[in-house]
Parts: sequence; structure tokens; C-alpha cells
Amino acid sequence: MLLAVLIANSEGNILVERFNGVPAEERLHWRSFLVKLGADNLKGVKNEELLVANHKSVYIVYTVLGDVSIFLVGKDEYDELALSEAIFVITSALKDVCGKPPTERLFLDKYGKICLCLDEIVWKGLLENTDKDRIKRLIRLKPPIDF
Amino acid sequence: MAQPFVKKDDDRDDEADYSPFLGIEKGAVLQEARVFNDPQLDARKCLQVITKLLYLLNQGETFTKIEATEVFFAVTKLFQSKDIGLRRMVYLMIKEISPSSDEVIIVTSSLMKDMNSRTDMYRANAIRVLCRIIDGTLLTQIERYIKQAIVDKNPVVASAALVSGIHLLQTTPEIVKRWSNEVQEAVQSRAALVQFHALALLHQIRQNDRLAVSKLVTSLTKGTVRSPLAQCLLIRYTSQVIRESGVNTQTGDRPFYDYLEGCLRHKAEMVIFEAARAITELNDLTSRELTPAITVLQLFLSSSKPVLRFAAIRTLNKVAMTRPLAVTNCNIDIESLISDQNRSIATLAITTLLKTGNESSVDRLMKQITSFMSDIADEFKIVVVEAIRSLCLKFPQKYRSLMNFLSSILREEGGFEYKKAIVDSIVILIRDIPDAKENGLLHLCEFIEDCEFTYLSTQILHFLGNEGPKTSDPSKYIRYIYNRVILENATVRASAVSTLAKFGAMIDSLKPRIFVLLRRCLFDNDDEVRDRATLYLNTLGDGSVAETDKDAKEFLFGSLDIPLTNIETSLKNYEPSEEPFDINSVAKEVKSQPLAEKKAPGKKPTGLGAPRAVPTTAADAYERLLSSVPEFASFGKLFKSSAPVELTEAETEYAVNVVKHIFDNHVVFQYNCTNTIPEQLLENVTVIVDASEAEEFSEVGTKPLRSLPYDTPAQTFVAFEKPEGVPAVGKFSNVLRFMVKEVDPSTGEAEDDGVEDEYQLEDFEVVAADYILKVGVSNFKNAWESMGPDSERVDEYGLGFRESLPEAVNAVINLLGMQPCEGTEVVPSNSRSHTCLLSGVYIGNVKVLVRLSFGIDGSKEVAMKLAVRSEDESVSDAIHEIVASG
Repeated sequence: MLLAVLIANSEGNILVERFNGVPAEERLHWRSFLVKLGADNLKGVKNEELLVANHKSVYIVYTVLGDVSIFLVGKDEYDELALSEAIFVITSALKDVCGKPPTERLFLDKYGKICLCLDEIVWKGLLENTDKDRIKRLIRLKPPIDF
Repeated sequence: MAQPFVKKDDDRDDEADYSPFLGIEKGAVLQEARVFNDPQLDARKCLQVITKLLYLLNQGETFTKIEATEVFFAVTKLFQSKDIGLRRMVYLMIKEISPSSDEVIIVTSSLMKDMNSRTDMYRANAIRVLCRIIDGTLLTQIERYIKQAIVDKNPVVASAALVSGIHLLQTTPEIVKRWSNEVQEAVQSRAALVQFHALALLHQIRQNDRLAVSKLVTSLTKGTVRSPLAQCLLIRYTSQVIRESGVNTQTGDRPFYDYLEGCLRHKAEMVIFEAARAITELNDLTSRELTPAITVLQLFLSSSKPVLRFAAIRTLNKVAMTRPLAVTNCNIDIESLISDQNRSIATLAITTLLKTGNESSVDRLMKQITSFMSDIADEFKIVVVEAIRSLCLKFPQKYRSLMNFLSSILREEGGFEYKKAIVDSIVILIRDIPDAKENGLLHLCEFIEDCEFTYLSTQILHFLGNEGPKTSDPSKYIRYIYNRVILENATVRASAVSTLAKFGAMIDSLKPRIFVLLRRCLFDNDDEVRDRATLYLNTLGDGSVAETDKDAKEFLFGSLDIPLTNIETSLKNYEPSEEPFDINSVAKEVKSQPLAEKKAPGKKPTGLGAPRAVPTTAADAYERLLSSVPEFASFGKLFKSSAPVELTEAETEYAVNVVKHIFDNHVVFQYNCTNTIPEQLLENVTVIVDASEAEEFSEVGTKPLRSLPYDTPAQTFVAFEKPEGVPAVGKFSNVLRFMVKEVDPSTGEAEDDGVEDEYQLEDFEVVAADYILKVGVSNFKNAWESMGPDSERVDEYGLGFRESLPEAVNAVINLLGMQPCEGTEVVPSNSRSHTCLLSGVYIGNVKVLVRLSFGIDGSKEVAMKLAVRSEDESVSDAIHEIVASG
């Protein structure tokens, strides 16, 4: 299960937060944990360079893209490798929507589209689509070109 | 297409900090949502408002029931718009609001229409939304559409239906299981993602059917799997099948191993890694089978991708726990990871090296770790400290450099948990490596000179009091201890006073000087410190109530012998009265399982009205229960109650377990019975016990259970007489006999007439362990030495072939039923020998201590040396008899 997708700005404010199968009372804990993890480790990291951590049986893969940091949390079949696959899809879709690694402003400008992309990529904790071109079409309700 | 909030120039820096959602406010956005009701819909405006709503939801904002309903109804109006962008957003919005079941009806017809639309994308999205919001009844109505969608030629539609199926399987499994033919077909799809989703769903549908999973794996491992993701799933399912089927003992072949090994040459890294990990996790692997997996993991260690390095080192770390030699070849690559930017990777590298390293590499390794320790977080440091501790126990010759390392990191900055881990490690090393003692104690003394943690200071002072007097020059520790009395807070001062007293008690030459120091403490401003000083001065012979030397030592070093939790409960229950608190009345049994009967899994939980087990120790509760039965009142004091032994399988009509209560010359069996059939009432319930295989026991009475209604546990008892003080053993077979009456479920009333019936229960035994109480000692060594060698009985035993050393250790612990001390029940992985310390009280209140030394050889033959000391030699012999006959 992909437990959480969290996107924050450089100050650690949450821009998008989607939890799956995480009890409401634990979400705040996760949020502050991830933000702290980012603050401790993401300084000076290059765009899309992946960082990885694990806590007991839960894996965390995170990275920076422009002004935003992206965190994925998973367990069981969503281990560090599956998460890196998923985060790759998310970063490519973000770059695609924004045209480049986004500033915070640009990210918020494209907020609606980004929500749609995330909706196509992760659906209630399962990875659904992995190809950025297909996602680009799907969010406009266009069928994929290649079957 | 309309795009919300697009400014002409995205890149203007001066606008970069300005958020389009600045000052966004829920009330205002809800007002804006009224545009959804306009007869002439403005798609661009509507998109903007939905985006704002999504932003609010993603920030953790919640809508009240009324607000959510209003937004939901308004959003459904947007189905009228033909704007594609808006439609896509509406789908998302409905999922995010997740309307309540009574509102869903408003939108189902629109969604059903979309689900049958010719536009593929409408179909896919409508399926996803519907599956998110509907319940079982509605699902049956649209089931056939979903089945069609699973085999739709458009992969997006098929995937939408399959992923919906995975989610719906959690809530309505009976419906989703009917789709397996379609899902089976989708597994053969040429679209990679469809295959991935179908495989996941099919496995979930069939996961409880071993044969079906095995067939699935067999067919797919022979065919082609397109997506790497699906391939990874298949590898996982394959290793599950391998685990369950085991090695073919005749040919030595492992089914599917070739498939896994083949995957090591796949082009996707994900698949290679998954296969390598699956191989390393197989049981009883030969080196030949393991090597290819280790080789690919070794290649990953030098990958440019941190995730791959992490994955590889994490897996190798796991392998190193059980087979350090297999990983040794990778040591050079692992060493280069110590300087990895990612601290998680570096820590895993260090701890792996600590497991795989040999004696000659320890010094070099420690040098590398020293530079590394300064820039990692405490939680990583703790892992390293623990790894160093086990390394030191593995190579005791190297204690000097490892101890120096521990003491140097002890002086650096760090939080409580980290410091505690270091102190614990030093204490364990002192205990296990005699040569390290003096050195280690001095390090601890240095540490308490500047320790900010009261807990650690007191722990160290206590330890120092026990170990310090036995060193070659005890006087050198006094300065450190007395400094505490001058410099620290009251808690630490009180501990220091106790420690000083211990030195005084053990070393006569120091006694006069200790008295001088203790007398100074009489003027401390804390009453606990003053009290302790007064007490010790008197105990050690300075005051008027001088006791014998032996008594003083017993008082200072003897263990309390009573679990602290028990004494706490007793003190809380004690009501101030004329009668003083009697410490002998406190139960000595280590707290065991609570009385609450273990419920068979899946059984209906008891309602709120059902009585709850009283939160007290099991021993207390049993004693109270037994004393309420007049027939047992004459049996005297209860010596021990066993843990419940199940006499029925889980999920049977009647659940029965037995608790064995041991008295001096009686045993009472307490049968806890539960009736799990709502339509039955049982009356006059008894257990007929056949004790023909327990010759020393003779039945003296039973207490039947008058009535046993559905799901209300109750007890019936059978009492036996046995020779006094003798640990008689035997086997008992049992039959439950009762009168059964039908109950009308609607009224809950039972019929008047009943039928006699019987129900066969499992046998159980009274064993020697039932006569030994689990009573721990706080300091085994002291207790052992105080017992003296006269009562010691030593012998050696061959335990024959055993699965592993921990298994053999556990078997002996269970056979004796004694309390393991000082954590010695845990066998470090890969140990070839182990010493386990046990303590207990034998029937007749005789203290007994056991020292077990185990060794295992290459062919897994285990030998054991058993040394027993007790207050009574015959008890030492009895322990040997138990082991010899076990």
C-alpha cells in the first residue's frame, strides 16, 4: 500500500497531502515527521535526486523538484524500489504540467491539473498509471495513444 | 482548455512568493460554489472554484455534513456541462467529497450513463467514481458493466475496473470473487499495466487457495509477463509458493529456483532486485544457490542511484544476520558506502560490516566509524552502538579498542536513549568479559562526573556498588561516588549513599572511612538521603542496632525476590489499619497472562454488558476464585496456577481450557468453558476425568457448573489429592458432560426438556514445571554465590539433533518452567554456544537456581551442561531428574 503522498514547499508548508489507510490521528505525526526529514536532509540536494529511509517496515522515498519537496511513504509491496518508480512518475508528470521544475508559485498556479495527475497516478494507495504521456492525455479525458 | 490562475508570465520572480490561494477562506469558497447552480455555466469559473475546494481539502480542512452535502449537490449540476476539463474535475471532486450513502443516489444515474458512454474515458472515470462511492446493493446492479470493463480493449478502462476490484474486494469480497474468469482473461492482456493490475487482483481473490496460487505461478512463470511491476508481483508470489512447498527431498531440487535465478538477468533493475531478495530469503539455501543473488546485490552497491544502493545494502544487512560469511566478499564495496551522503545507507553499511568483519579488521573499522559518528542522528548511532556491542561479545579479545570507542562517544553530545544504549553496552561488556571490568567501571565513573541524566547516574551507581567492591583497588571509586553526594540532586545523592554502604559492607578496611562519609550525609537537606544514611550506619554496625555481618550483606545485596508490580498492587490495595503491611502476603509469581480467556479468533466479541476481567494479576484473581469455593478452603495456600491449556480447537462448538492449580497435597483443575452456540443452553456441566495414567492422584471432588448460556464463560472444577510436597506427574483425559436445551433465538428462552450429551476434550498432563514458580532474582551472580557450592549438582546431557540453538534453549526453559534471568533466554544469532540462567521456587518454598550451558556442533547436535544450586540438595537432584526424564 502506498500510504502517503505529500508535497511541501521549501519552508515545510503542506501543498498536497493524500493519505491512504493511515488513521486520522496518525496523519499529523506523519506530516511533521516527513517535513522534519526533509528539513534535515534535503538541503543542497539536486532536483530529482532520490533520498531514502526506512522506519520499521515502512519505506520513505523523497526528493526535491524546483521549490517543492515530494515524499512518498509505502509498505509491503511498495518498498523503496516501487516507491522510486512512483516518485519518478510523479516528478515527470509535475515537470510536464509545469513545463519545468516548478517554483512554488507555478505549482499553485497549476494546482488543479496537478491534483488530476496525482489522481491518475495513485488511486487510494495503488499505483495506477505510470506513463507521463498517457497521464497527460487522461487528465484531459483523451484516450491513450498506445494500447 | 481553461486553465485556472494562469498569469501571463510564470517566471516573474517578484511574484514568486505570492500564492494564488493567499487568504483563502472556507466560507468564501463555499459562497463561490454557488456558480455551480448558474443556468449558464461558466466552465472556467467553475474549474477555479473546484481547484480552491481541492486546495482546502488537501490542506486538511474538513467540511461539515451540511457543507459537504451542499457542495456535493452543487457539483452534480456540473454534469450538464459539456466541457471536458470540467467533467474530469467533477469526477475528482465527487471522489474527494465521498458523499454519504443516502446522497449517492443523486449522482448514480449520471455516472451509470457515463459508464455506458461511447467515450472510453468517461467509462473509465465513471467506474472509478462509482466504485468509490457505492455499497454492495448498488454494486450488484452495475456488476455486469464492470465485468465487461475488465476485458475492455481500452487499457485505461480495464485498469480502472481492475483497480476498483482490488478496492472493492476489501468491502464486498463475495461479489468481486465472481469476476475471476474475466480477471483471468485480463492477466493475459497485452497491455502491461492491465496485466499488472489483473495479476494483483487475481492473487488477492485466490490468496487463500494454495493450489490455485501455485497453478497461477506455474503458468505465468512459463509465459511472458510484460510489465516489470507485474514481474515483481510474480516473484513475490513465487517465493510464497516456494516457502509453502519446501525442497524436494529426493532430488534436492527447489521448485521455481531456476525462474528466480533467470530473473536476475532481467533488464529492469526492479525485477533483478526483487529476485535477488526473494532468493536470499529462501530457507536452507546452499552457497551455490545464494551466490548469484549476492553478486547482483554487490553490483547494486556501487550504483549511482541511492535507492538501489539502499535496497542492496538493506538486503545484504539482513543476509549478514544469518550468514555473515556469504557477505564477506562484498566488504570492500560496503566500506566505500560508509561515506555515503545518505545516512541511512551509511548506517546500514556500518552495521553490516560489524557483522561480517573479522577480528583483524576491527581496528580499521573502528577508525572509520569514529569519523562517521559525528554527523549522524541519534537513532542511527544507537543502531551502531548495538552492533558494536555484539561485535565485542563476538571478539572478546578486542574489548580494549571497542570499550575505548564506547567511552569516547559517551563523552560526546547525545540524547538520553543514545547514552542509555552506550551505558547498557558497557555494562553488558563488563558482565561478560571479566578483563574489561576495571577499565569499563572507570569509564562509567568518568561519565557520571558529568552526566545530565538522573536515571543513568542512579543505574551506574547501583552497578558500581555491586561490582566495584570486587575489583583490585576498590578505594579509587569512592571519590567518584562521594562527589555525587556533594554535587547532584537528591535522587542521585540517595543512590550514592547506598553505593557507599555497599563498599563499606564488603571491605572492612574501608569501613571506618565510609562511616565518616555516611555521617556527613546525616545532615543532607533531603529526608530520603538522611534516612538512608541513618539506616546504613546502623546496619553496618556504627549505631546501636548492629546486626551481624551476614545480615547486613543480605540486606544490602540480597534481591527483593518480589516482582515490583506485585508489591505495587498490594500496597495500593492495602488499607491503613492497625494491622501492619505484611510483605509475605505479596504474590511472588511473575505476572502471567491475565485471566481474560483467550478468545478464539473470529469469534463474536462480547457486548458492553459482559463482565470484564478485573485488572489485577492472574494469581490474585485465581486465589480469590478458589477461596470462594468452600470445598477447596481446606487445601491451604495456593502454590502455583499454570497458564491456561487449550483442550479444544479454535472455532469448535464448545471452547474449553484448563488451569492447573497446585496446592501442597492437592491439585485443582479449573475448566474454563464457553458455549459458542446461540441456540443452546447447557446445564449441569461437569468434566469426567480419567486419571488412570496419573497413578499418584486420586479424585476427591468436583464442582459442577449449573448453567452455561451462550458466550458467557464460566468454570467447573475437579480436585485431586496427591502425596504431600511430591511433584507427582501424570496424564489426564477429559470428557465434557452436560444437559443441552434448545433456545429460541427470538425470545432467548430455553425449552424445558433437555438431552444428556458428552463432548470429547483433549488430554493434558501435570508436569514437573507445574511445581516450580517463576521467581526471578535481580542479580544472579550474587544469588548463585550466596547459595554455596555444597548443594550444587552438575551433570551433562546430550539433547540430540535440534533445529537450532534457540529452539533447544527454549525447550529446556519450558521443561523446567523457571524464570530466565538477565535476558539470557535470548540467544544471539549465529551463536554456537550459550549460557542461560534460570531461577525459581520449588514446591515447599525452596529457592533454586540453574545455570545451563549449551553447545551446538555442525550437525546440529546439542550438548548441555546443567548446574543446579538450591537450598535443599534433594531439590537440586529433582531438577536433574526432570531434565533426565524430559
